Amino acid sequence: MPLTIVHPGNESVPKAATPPARLKSLAGKKIGLLDISKPGGSFFLDRLEEILRTKHGVADVLRTKKPTFSKNAPPQIIEQLRAMDAVVEGLAD
Amino acid sequence: MQQPQNAPAIPGLQSGKKALLVFFETDCPTCQLALPYLNALKQGSIQVIGLSQDDERTTREFVSQLKISYPVELDSGLKISRAYDPHNVPTFYLLDESGQVQQTLVGFDKQGLNELAEALGQLPIAPADDGAPAWKPGCSSRHLEPEAQDTEQGKAQEYGVKMLRRTGDPATHITLRDDEDPFEYCRQKFGDALPVIPPTVEKVEAMVKASGLAPETVIARVPPFYGEATVEKIAANAVMAGCEPEMMRVLLPLLRAACDERFNIHGVQATTHFAAPLVMINGPVRKELKFWSKQNVFSNVARANSSLGRAFQLVLLNIGGGRPDGIDMSALGNPGKFSFCIAENEEENPWEPFHVTRGLKREQSAVSLFAAEPPRGVSEHTAPAGKTVLETISFALATVWSYRTCLMPEAIVILCPEHVKTIHRDGFTKEQARQFLFENTGIPVRHYSKEERAEGTQLAANYKEITVRGEKCYQKFRSPEAISIFVAGGTAGKFSAVIGSWSTGPAGSQMVTYPIADK
Repeated sequence: MPLTIVHPGNESVPKAATPPARLKSLAGKKIGLLDISKPGGSFFLDRLEEILRTKHGVADVLRTKKPTFSKNAPPQIIEQLRAMDAVVEGLAD
Repeated sequence: MQQPQNAPAIPGLQSGKKALLVFFETDCPTCQLALPYLNALKQGSIQVIGLSQDDERTTREFVSQLKISYPVELDSGLKISRAYDPHNVPTFYLLDESGQVQQTLVGFDKQGLNELAEALGQLPIAPADDGAPAWKPGCSSRHLEPEAQDTEQGKAQEYGVKMLRRTGDPATHITLRDDEDPFEYCRQKFGDALPVIPPTVEKVEAMVKASGLAPETVIARVPPFYGEATVEKIAANAVMAGCEPEMMRVLLPLLRAACDERFNIHGVQATTHFAAPLVMINGPVRKELKFWSKQNVFSNVARANSSLGRAFQLVLLNIGGGRPDGIDMSALGNPGKFSFCIAENEEENPWEPFHVTRGLKREQSAVSLFAAEPPRGVSEHTAPAGKTVLETISFALATVWSYRTCLMPEAIVILCPEHVKTIHRDGFTKEQARQFLFENTGIPVRHYSKEERAEGTQLAANYKEITVRGEKCYQKFRSPEAISIFVAGGTAGKFSAVIGSWSTGPAGSQMVTYPIADK
């Protein structure tokens, strides 16, 4: 006799997000840099900001930082980053 | 606050009755959390009215998914919002019979909700231990958003996620082919690398029945994927883990505790650290459900401990999605991820049991959770004095997280019956034993060198200097409360254990203790 079991897993299907088109150039663009608050992240992002500003002519760089690496970014930070043309998230350790 | 000047009439509001108004947005997680609590208010002599700042379609979806049972009206053009001018949503206004504002409550606040209920002459509506946080801030009110200034109605963001509803969907039934081995099918699809018991419809129904709840009741949303843990799905995992139906009594509060925001299971599940949630059981439930607290307490010794710990891990895997070959990125992992459940040996504990130290009554059954490293053993068979036993344990405590790292870590000391007997005989109270461990756990300052940049050195300026055994040391722990004492194990063998933490405090994981309902 066929056996019927109850699905024990998460059955919700997350709505897939479509990634935005790649930027053709960084010139004149607003770039968000998200520091997740791990030690060392600022070294990488400081250098990246310098390169973006001096070599790529970006319009602006927005520096943001999660209060703690162990939790999701709060909605306020997501909202700030939503206004950017591109975002770089700096992981570290 | 008086009745707002020129406030437009609130649709459906009858004069001569007390009323509770709540302004909300459909995509505000705090509103989704808070509004269903008002379903518990008995209407008749009072009115409850929800005022949506969003359009009709999303509001209908909100009411339907969250099963809101009181009237909800659209605040067309945000006119009522502008008159009452709440800064955040949800904001609750308690109006007296003449429409004057008597009380205001902002955000989600269990105590505040219960006070509102009391002011309406009703029983409390927000239980302390239902897994929701005591307090959660809301979102900015729609009428204060810059883009809402010139629009007629707020527009909710469509994130494509389910709302924080209380009732989920029924689980799919999977009928296996005749030639399919059900054990192999379930191991591959839903197992923890070991075989599981196939969660047949009959077995799951028996488990659901023992819970006394409807199968689609949502108990928690399990990170990192925030899958809805319905009673039915939890039951299916409990069957797979080998639980007896009575174990639902413990498994449900355990999942609420795990998904309490203070515990931060999201971080615990996704970290590269060793952490695994350690389940600690106290009170009468230990005997009622045969939890083991004696020799081999961390081992494969008792069905209750092993199956509860495993069911919990299977829920984290299957509903939460924290797979150890996927989003769970632990560098070395933890054997406790098969099952990590101990009970306190309260009979051999001369002091108050752990859950009493955590604020509950002795006769209350309880489950506590700690984001734990694997246990490290401490052998002390020769020292005759309790003080020396504690000193030996303090050397192991110095090593938790990383030897030179102070202040951040916490630890649980598992005292074996022989050690606790000696310490107690020598006159230590539980509090004094903890204080002794706090004052005597230090890392010698000579072990720090700025040049080496070893972990823990960079923060040494914040550490407190103390003298331990005549030597200048940094104090390992930030407070005595960072050390917990739990008595467990067999009566033979002078072996205790120290268990280090993951990241602690509001930025990491905080230990949680939840009551288990009486039999």
